[in-house]
Amino acid sequence: MILEMRNIQKQFDGLEVLKDISFDVDKGEVVSIIGPSGSGKSTLLRCATFLETIDGGEIRYMGGTAAHTDGSGHAVYVDQKELRRFRSYCGLVFQQFNLFPHYSILKNLTDAPIHVQGREKDEAEQTALELLTKMGIADKADAYPYQLSGGQQQRVAIARALAMRPKILFFDEPTSALDPELTGEVLKVIRQLAEEHMTMVVVTHEMPFAKAVSNRVIFMDGGVIVEQGDPKDVFENPQEERTKQFLRVFER
Amino acid sequence: MTLQTMLSTMSIGMLRTCGIFALTLIGSLPLGMVVALLKKSRFAVVRGIINVYISVIRGTPLMLQLLVWYFGPFYLFGANIGGWRFPALILGFVVNYAAYFAEIYRGGIESIPVSQYEAAQVLGYSKVQTFMRIILPQVVKRIMPSATNEVITLVKDTSLAFTLAYQEVFSLAKQISASQTSFMPFLVAGIFYFVANYGVEFAMSRIEKALDYYR
Repeated sequence: MILEMRNIQKQFDGLEVLKDISFDVDKGEVVSIIGPSGSGKSTLLRCATFLETIDGGEIRYMGGTAAHTDGSGHAVYVDQKELRRFRSYCGLVFQQFNLFPHYSILKNLTDAPIHVQGREKDEAEQTALELLTKMGIADKADAYPYQLSGGQQQRVAIARALAMRPKILFFDEPTSALDPELTGEVLKVIRQLAEEHMTMVVVTHEMPFAKAVSNRVIFMDGGVIVEQGDPKDVFENPQEERTKQFLRVFER
Repeated sequence: MTLQTMLSTMSIGMLRTCGIFALTLIGSLPLGMVVALLKKSRFAVVRGIINVYISVIRGTPLMLQLLVWYFGPFYLFGANIGGWRFPALILGFVVNYAAYFAEIYRGGIESIPVSQYEAAQVLGYSKVQTFMRIILPQVVKRIMPSATNEVITLVKDTSLAFTLAYQEVFSLAKQISASQTSFMPFLVAGIFYFVANYGVEFAMSRIEKALDYYR
């Protein structure tokens, strides 16, 4: 297992956002998380990528425990040094791209590999250019983020995450900030990554995409996993009433 | 006194003014950043001290602060303040301007969206790396207009050194004007300040232009 999340609990000011959520992601799996807004999907990703701390439960990467609930019932994390190792396993693509505006596209992709991972500049730049080529934006290497369209920026963000060679890549609604005509180019590269068996967890509202690309779909509502399984089963033959209700909205 | 003697006497004063200006910037620009960061300290005591410091500095005249720095050691501890004039002057300016720069930095730091910190964190940058590589360069760009304002004010504030009878260009202009019953020294001093600030404006706009390569 790449990632195991067990009995995850998270509150914001007394409001329970995640109630006892458990799920695993196996190597090469593509998991889509769908559900209405406020269901806790994004919070779950933020907990998995250590942007939020869990209140209870256990997070394991590559068989190693990053956080667990101790005897007193509180979640405890490993020390900073260990945590950095766990962080290096996962990449995250944000809804709003969050590129570094003062760095060129190339530098957005090479700065962390060079200064965080200590890789050689030449090697990092070569890797970056290969990734940009794969994303279809090699000609933008010397441009700055503000000069790119949303779709291009998001592809840079995906390349930036991949440049760190993560074991698993998370996407937090990667197309929600894009104009409809630009979502296709971003979904295309995610699909391409899926075909290469990159391990991915995608929070999305793009139902046809989730159905076509993922190995497993998780439907979340009210901070719990309501239903999960093969995309064909979940989309065509949902068992739970809440899932049916939610999917009906997308059927037009 | 010929115009030439007047000018050469005053040019020494101009050099001294430039000295106050340069030393104040060298001291207060970094110190201001330290103050801005301490203001975000997780220790309430540190934040409290910084708040009092900024409040006192902003709430009292710089002229008064200079007098306190210079005469304080004598009145408080009976210390011998011979040779203390210039150090007291620079100390007064640095401590004062650091407080203002700290607030400018703070405004800049707080204007950077949290998402930049999150992106850096996910990529594994340490806290120091995040600040130095991701946040600070963007802060510098954003604070340029208000920093320019502050630097221009500093050029003019150097004239307050006359309170400690330090012979920079303004003190000299006043003295020469009184002894020669001439208006000319003030005109010369005025032109000097204006030209100096014109230079500051030019330099700062060049820096702003240089930072224009991104948005």
